[in-house]
Amino acid sequence: MDKLYYRLRTYRSVVGMNIKEILAYNFWFWSQVGAHILLTIAYISFWKALYSERDSIAGLDMQQTLTYIILARIVMPLVQWGYTQEFGFWIREGTISSELLRPVDFQERIYIGHLTRTFVSLAQQLIVVGSLALFVFKISLPTDPLVWLSFLISLLLGCSILFCFDWIFGCIAFYSTEVWGLQVVRGSVLLLFSGVLLPLTMLPTALQTIAKWLPFAQSVSVPVSILSGMTPLSNLGSIWLQQLAWLSVMFILSRLMFNFSVRKITVQGG
Amino acid sequence: MPIIDVRNLGKTYRTIEKEGGVKGAVKALFRPQYREKVAVHDLNFQIDAGEIVGYIGVNGAGKSTTIKMLTGILYPTTGSISVLGHDPQRERVANARNIGVVFGQRSQLWWDLALIESLNLVANIYEVEPSRYKQLLSHFAEVLELDEILKTPIRSMSLGQKMRAELAATFIHEPKVVYLDEPTIGLDVMVKQRIREFIKDYNQTHNTTVMLTTHDLGDIEQLCSRVIIIDAGSKVYDGPLNAIKQQFGKFRTITFETNQPIVSVNLPPACEQLNLSEFSLEVRFDRSQISASQVANAVMQQLDVADFTLNEPDLESIIKHLYQNPTAYNEVGARG
Repeated sequence: MDKLYYRLRTYRSVVGMNIKEILAYNFWFWSQVGAHILLTIAYISFWKALYSERDSIAGLDMQQTLTYIILARIVMPLVQWGYTQEFGFWIREGTISSELLRPVDFQERIYIGHLTRTFVSLAQQLIVVGSLALFVFKISLPTDPLVWLSFLISLLLGCSILFCFDWIFGCIAFYSTEVWGLQVVRGSVLLLFSGVLLPLTMLPTALQTIAKWLPFAQSVSVPVSILSGMTPLSNLGSIWLQQLAWLSVMFILSRLMFNFSVRKITVQGG
Repeated sequence: MPIIDVRNLGKTYRTIEKEGGVKGAVKALFRPQYREKVAVHDLNFQIDAGEIVGYIGVNGAGKSTTIKMLTGILYPTTGSISVLGHDPQRERVANARNIGVVFGQRSQLWWDLALIESLNLVANIYEVEPSRYKQLLSHFAEVLELDEILKTPIRSMSLGQKMRAELAATFIHEPKVVYLDEPTIGLDVMVKQRIREFIKDYNQTHNTTVMLTTHDLGDIEQLCSRVIIIDAGSKVYDGPLNAIKQQFGKFRTITFETNQPIVSVNLPPACEQLNLSEFSLEVRFDRSQISASQVANAVMQQLDVADFTLNEPDLESIIKHLYQNPTAYNEVGARG
């Protein structure tokens, strides 16, 4: 009981700390808002131009696609970065040693912080991009609370899957001192196969198959399809089961990978 | 029963060796040449509860590598470590609860957050009971003069403030063993003194075991009764600070200033010429064999001496002599 009490207190501090850290960088916060407005306008204009020539693409009409794209834009910053850079930084700067010296599970602590950041970011996006969609582009967002709840659950699962994947991917930094290249690879693969750029159904069948076997779609395409109405709520059971299966595998792999590669540590200096 | 028990500890790093130029870089990409570097070799020592041990050696001797292995963040290549009965690598979390670590060149606090936020989090992580935390916080605020900086983010602190903050964060869970890796590096004399007093006081009131690496011999002289000297990864001395001092304390130096340029001088036995310049001569002698007045007399018969000063050896010159003459370790009876 005492253990749980301190653990919850620790998490409360971690959550608070992460929110304060985000707010410590005012300029970063507002420049992100600005960037999202610009990108949203660019995306919507691009898709409107495409649909001016035809009525449907891959069976989706303009309204469906735009709703999907707007929602994907809302989710995008949540999954954009991964942990490769952080791992590189922790190892290069030696912060990893201070982190490992604390008597708490490192991955768990970072995960709590990650979720905090994810949901702060989501709130920020919903306000900025959501109002842009509603008031400027007159795109209707779903109103059914059940749809939103299902979306949030699926998003939580998806972000956790991606977190574990990024944890595994980040561990490569223990072996390669260079992380920039890894980050670029992850970014490009994510852009195409997560469904952030376009609905996955618009991809050629071969690429759709690849997307199915990568974890990225779980965090963008899957939840966004629920929210945009492309996936009926009756499919939720099998979708959540699939996401849970993904999560279990990724979680176990991420634990193994970290415990294995942490032995590689050679903290610089001194 | 020792608190820290280190047996046959060794660490070998494997690094990729690259030839120069683009060609070398490409070659290393496909056929990397590995080079093994022994950082620590067959190290043995035991430390009892409440001891403050100075762990010293030149840069690259293996001090930090040892500390990192003791804390559990670096895996040894050979040998075993036990700290309060825990294997620091296998039982990292259990070990982490008992220890506190300060790396003088690196912060464990959160860069963007006010000190009090960092301390709150650390207290929660280490499960410090809230009322106890309150007590300790007000005590540390007093002795480390934290009041003015509690609400300051770490990034806007001076080096001295940062180190005081680090110490508070390290001791707030009342660790039984503390590793201090160059805790006074780059600090002014006032801050150094305050930090030494804090460590000493904490050690006396809590019977905390402290292992301290430093290049500042003031730290050693004021804090440590025992010293371990490590050179090229191996232990070369382990014993009381006094033994080194007594052994080398028998040596003294005299510096002579002359009116005329010094051409040559014959020194009596048991004397050694340390420095010679045009108008000055420094002589080291063994005072168990010859007295200062005999040395001065012998030199003054040969030179036109304007002034001379007699110097007692300080720890710094002793350690310098040891670093430069590894064979001298035998003179103080290295314990293997």
